[in-house]
Amino acid sequence: MANAPASTARATATTGAGEARKAAAGDAAARPGEPRRDRRSKRERQGAAWVFLSPWVLGASVLTLLPMAVSLYLSFTDYNLFDPPSWIGLRNYVQMFTEDPRLLRSVGNTLLYVLFAVPLQLALALTVAVALKSMRRGRNFYRSAFYAPSLLGASMSIALVWRAIFNDGGTVDNLLAGVGLDMGGWVNKPGWALLSVALLTVWQFGAPMVIFLAGLQQIPQDLYEAAAVDGAGRWRQFASITLPMLSPVLFFNLVLQTIQAFQVFTPAYAVSGGRGGPADSTLFYTLYLYDRGFTASHMGYASAMAWVLLVAIGIVTAVLFRTSRSWVFYANEEVR
Amino acid sequence: MPAPRTKASCAAAVVLALSATLTGCGGGASASGEGKVTLRFTWWGNADRAARTNKAVEAFERAHPGIDVQTSYSTYESYKQKLATQAAGGDVPDLIQLDYRQISQYAGSDVMLDLEKQRKRLPTGKMDPALLKTGQVGGVQYALPMGVGTQALAYDKVAWREAGLKTPRAGWTWDDWAKSLRQLKRERGSYAMTDPGSMEDWFEIWLRGRGKQLYGKDGQTAFAAKDLAGFWAFTSKLRKEGLVSPASDTTQMAGSVEDSPMGREKAVAEFNWDAPSAGYEAMYKDRLALAPMPSGEDGTPGQYFKPSMLLGIAAGSSHPKQAAEFIDFLLNSDEAADILGVDRGTPVNSRQRQRVLPKVTGFQKQVAGLQTSLRGKLEDPPAAPPRGDNGLQSTFQRDYDHVSFDKATPLQVAEDFLTEARTELRP
Repeated sequence: MANAPASTARATATTGAGEARKAAAGDAAARPGEPRRDRRSKRERQGAAWVFLSPWVLGASVLTLLPMAVSLYLSFTDYNLFDPPSWIGLRNYVQMFTEDPRLLRSVGNTLLYVLFAVPLQLALALTVAVALKSMRRGRNFYRSAFYAPSLLGASMSIALVWRAIFNDGGTVDNLLAGVGLDMGGWVNKPGWALLSVALLTVWQFGAPMVIFLAGLQQIPQDLYEAAAVDGAGRWRQFASITLPMLSPVLFFNLVLQTIQAFQVFTPAYAVSGGRGGPADSTLFYTLYLYDRGFTASHMGYASAMAWVLLVAIGIVTAVLFRTSRSWVFYANEEVR
Repeated sequence: MPAPRTKASCAAAVVLALSATLTGCGGGASASGEGKVTLRFTWWGNADRAARTNKAVEAFERAHPGIDVQTSYSTYESYKQKLATQAAGGDVPDLIQLDYRQISQYAGSDVMLDLEKQRKRLPTGKMDPALLKTGQVGGVQYALPMGVGTQALAYDKVAWREAGLKTPRAGWTWDDWAKSLRQLKRERGSYAMTDPGSMEDWFEIWLRGRGKQLYGKDGQTAFAAKDLAGFWAFTSKLRKEGLVSPASDTTQMAGSVEDSPMGREKAVAEFNWDAPSAGYEAMYKDRLALAPMPSGEDGTPGQYFKPSMLLGIAAGSSHPKQAAEFIDFLLNSDEAADILGVDRGTPVNSRQRQRVLPKVTGFQKQVAGLQTSLRGKLEDPPAAPPRGDNGLQSTFQRDYDHVSFDKATPLQVAEDFLTEARTELRP
C-alpha cells in the first residue's frame, strides 16, 4: 500500500514507459469481456494476501493487541498478580497525579535523560557520519565499527560491563584516578549514575549514524560545487546545504530516538542494580513502572503508568511533528 | 480456475503449520520423551548451593529413573519477581521454594497444593511440630520447612585477632559490637563492616533486642517512626565515624555475596544468614567464622531460629505424586542429608539433624556450631509476615539510600517508610 503513491509518482515522472504501463493498466480494467472473473481473482488475490499476512496478524493480535487491551483493563483495577483484579475506576490514575512523589521523581529523571542523551547522541552520529562521508579509504570498516555498539548495546551483558567499567575500581575510575581525579566510581554516586546510563545510550549512536550517512549521500554534489564556486567555506556549506537538505533525516532520527529514550529500561535496570538507585537517581519512568508491577505487585497501577507513558510519548511526538513544519525542509517542496 | 484456490489453500496450510510451531513451543514439556515425567524445581542462592542441590537432584533421578528434574536458580530478588509473574500466568514450577515472607501470599492465593493430599508419600513424623507450623496458613499445611536458619555475623577471624579482639559470644551487645568496629578501624585504617542500616532483617534484630516486633498480630507494623529513626541514627553515626561502609558501597548490594563489601574484600565482617554465608568461603577459606548477632543492651537476644525456606507443590502441577516423592527425598532421606548437609540450614527431620550435625565439614561446621551454641537461648520466632510485606524489604533498602546519602533526616525517611508500609499492608 505504501508503494502505491511512490510508483504513481515515478510513472508520471518518467514519460515513455510509465505512460505505456498506465495505458495497459487502464485497458485491463476496462476490458468488457470478463468483468466477473477479474473481480473474483482480485478477491482471491486478497485472500492469498491475508493468508500470507496471517502469521504477522496472529502475532500482532495475540502478542501485542491483546496484551494491550488487557493492560488497559487492568489499569482500572487493583491487581496484585495473585487475586482476581477488582475494578476501582480511575483511582490508579488519580493516585499517580496526586499522591506519588516517586512518580514525579521518575518523570524528572526520564526528562533529564531524554534531554541529555538524545541531542548528544544525534550530534555524535551526525559528526561521525559527516566525517565518514568524506573518507575515501576504510569507510566500510569504520562504518561497521561504529555501528557495532548499537548491535551490542541493547543487551544485558553490555549494561553489566558498563556497570563494572564505571564502578569503584573499574576502568574509568582507575583512568581518572591516574590523572588525579579519583572519584570512587560513577554508578554508585547519586549525582553521576544518571550520566553513566546516558553515556551508554550515546555510545550506541550507530543506528542514527547509518541513517545520516544514507541521507548525506542523497544530497546532490552539484549543490556543494555551486556553493564552492560562490566562495562558501566548509562551515557555510554545512549550515546552508547539509543541514537543510538533511533535515528530514534529522527529524526522522529525532523522533525515533526520542521515543526510544522515553522507553529506556535495560541499561538503567542493570546499571542501577535493578532499583533505580542510588537514592532514586536513575529511577526512570519504566524502571518505576517495573518496580510497581513486579516488586510491589501493583500490576493495576503499573498498567495505568504504562498507558500514561504511551499517551505522553504520543503528545511529545505530536509536538515534534508540529515544530517540524518550521524547520524540516523537503527538497521536492516549493520554497515558500 | 481451480488452480489459484489450490495454491491459496496450500499456502494457508503451510502458514497454519508454521504458526502452530510458533505457538506450540510453550507447554508440553511435562510429558516429554520416553514416558519420563518432568518436574521443574527452582530456587534462590549462591553457586555453592546450586552445586550441592544439583548433586542431590542427580541422586534422586538415579533412584527414580522415570523422573527428570529440571533445575534453575537465581538471586532472591530475581527469584521473587519471576515466581510472582509465573504465579499470575498460572505457570509456577511444580516445586515451589518460598521464603517465610512469601508463604502468606502464595498459600492465600490457591497457588499451593494442600500437602494433606500427598500425606502418604510425605511423612512428617520426624519433624518438629513447631517448625511444621511455619508452613501452615489457616491450619492447612501448604509447605514444609527445608531447614532451620538464623542470623549471624560472618567475619574474618584473622582480622579480628589482629585487632586484638576476642571471639564474639552470645549475649554481646550492640554497644560491644560498635566498640569492636572502632578497634578494627584503628587497626585496619579503613572501615571494617558493611553498614547494616539498609536491611530490614538487621533492623528487626535490633528492634527485637529492645523487646519490640516488626509486625503486630493485626498484620500492621508494630514499631514507631522514632524506633526506625533511632536505628538509622545509630548506623549513620557509625558511618560518619568511618566504621561501616559509606553510602556508595552500601547502595550496590543486590542480594548476592559477590556485590557486598565483604564479598568484594573491602570489609572484614557482615551480617548475613548463617547458611548463605557459605558464599564467602571461596574468598576467605578457613579465615571465615560465624558469631551470634549482638543483643539488646539488657541482654535480650534479637535473633531467632526460623525456617530458612519452605518447599511446597504447585496446586496446578500435573505430577503431584512425583513432586511429593522429591520433597520426601530431599527432607527425609539419608542420601540427600549427606549431600546437602546444612546448606539450607540444619535439617528439620530430627533423625537427619542428629546424623548430619556431627558429620559436617569445612564452613558447615561453623553453621552447626553456631546453631548448637544458641539452642535454647533464643526467643520464639515472629509469626509469618503479612501479605504485602514482600515489597517492603526493597522499600527499606531504597529508603535507606536517602538517609545514607544525606538526602533527608532519618526521622523524615522513617515516616515515609511507615506511610508506604501502611498502604502496602492494607488488607
